[in-house]
Amino acid sequence: MNIIEININGNAIKADAGQTILEVCRQNDIEILTMCHMDGISDVGACRLCLVQIEGSNKLMPACTTKVMPNMAITTTNERIKKYQKITTELLHAERNHTCAVCVANGHCELQDMTAKLEITHIRYPHLFPDCDMDTSHPWYIMDHNRCIMCTRCVRVCKEVEGAHNWDVMGRGHEVRIISDYHTPWGESETCTSCGKCLHACPVGAIWPKAISQGQLVKNPGMINDLVEKRKMNL
Amino acid sequence: MNKKKIATVWLGGCSGCHMSLLDIDERILDVAALADIVKSPVVDGKEMPEVDVAIVEGAITSDEHYEEILHIRKQAKILIALGDCAIHNNVTGLRNFFKLQEVFDTSYKESPSNDADGVMPDDPLLLKLNEKVIPLSEVVDVDFFINGCPPDADYIFYVIFEYLNERIPQPGGHKKIQYG
Repeated sequence: MNIIEININGNAIKADAGQTILEVCRQNDIEILTMCHMDGISDVGACRLCLVQIEGSNKLMPACTTKVMPNMAITTTNERIKKYQKITTELLHAERNHTCAVCVANGHCELQDMTAKLEITHIRYPHLFPDCDMDTSHPWYIMDHNRCIMCTRCVRVCKEVEGAHNWDVMGRGHEVRIISDYHTPWGESETCTSCGKCLHACPVGAIWPKAISQGQLVKNPGMINDLVEKRKMNL
Repeated sequence: MNKKKIATVWLGGCSGCHMSLLDIDERILDVAALADIVKSPVVDGKEMPEVDVAIVEGAITSDEHYEEILHIRKQAKILIALGDCAIHNNVTGLRNFFKLQEVFDTSYKESPSNDADGVMPDDPLLLKLNEKVIPLSEVVDVDFFINGCPPDADYIFYVIFEYLNERIPQPGGHKKIQYG
């Protein structure tokens, strides 16, 4: 342990040199908004909601992938950060086809919660209305690309926790898509173990079991971290 | 204080937002004490007069809606978008993922329940559907957004009552501004 001193929102805080800004903030009850972060799996800085301002840098940095440095002065919330968080969340809505009222995750959705939390009452950007596929080939689950926000939590949980690596990412920009194996139907996957961890990792209603309907998708994302911790203990 | 005027308008929506409006129940008497409802799907009166508050449900789906919302904006001091369809298309916008011709074909030709011989409605008096459904804020400035599908009746009453008393309402609480 190499204890260093940093400054967050004007308060001196002690942290371990290897920790990320997000880890330190969570330990000290400082609120950081996240969507692509999930306890138990690695961080990739995909959603850009955890942006923080670091003194001496004019770029905002993602708290989940930025490690703390000695004497770092961090601001976790100000008007600039809030402005970008709002823009990011609105663009997530505009990029795909989100219709809360008919979604399986209505009432249990991290994007829906985030939108309300940031007090976004309307989307200021024109919607793209992309033509997205819906993969219903798996016997139990559905993957709906209309609702995917590309947080890649399913990809990481499948690779790191289940060890199957069924999911991956294909394409660039707004054409980026989550794929099963080499972009083949999920039902024909040779790697998927049908464990359902991706379903619990998904923050929105993009992956869900066929047995449920509007508003019935209740997830247990904490289960992922529980699994990881139990394995460490060799239970 | 002079009595104010309210209009409620139903564009491309399911009328569920107006049902929520009626769910303010006996509080409609408090509204009526301060204002006259001069245009609404639930009262008589065809023309849209100058009003203090216009409450608009539904998205813009056609040439007629487009003209109507421009006219409403001109006539209303305060324009309130009521419900998710008016704010971000919601269910009305689900047809945006298809070509308009496909939508017509599905409704009038290919639908299993269609027992006629697939005649398309083409009366010149009918409105013309736009290729894409768009929310109100893409066409006009909107003063207040009441989210929800359906929106919350208490919230609707609060917003109307504040405007009628010449106060500006505050966007309220997590559940009230949540979509869906």
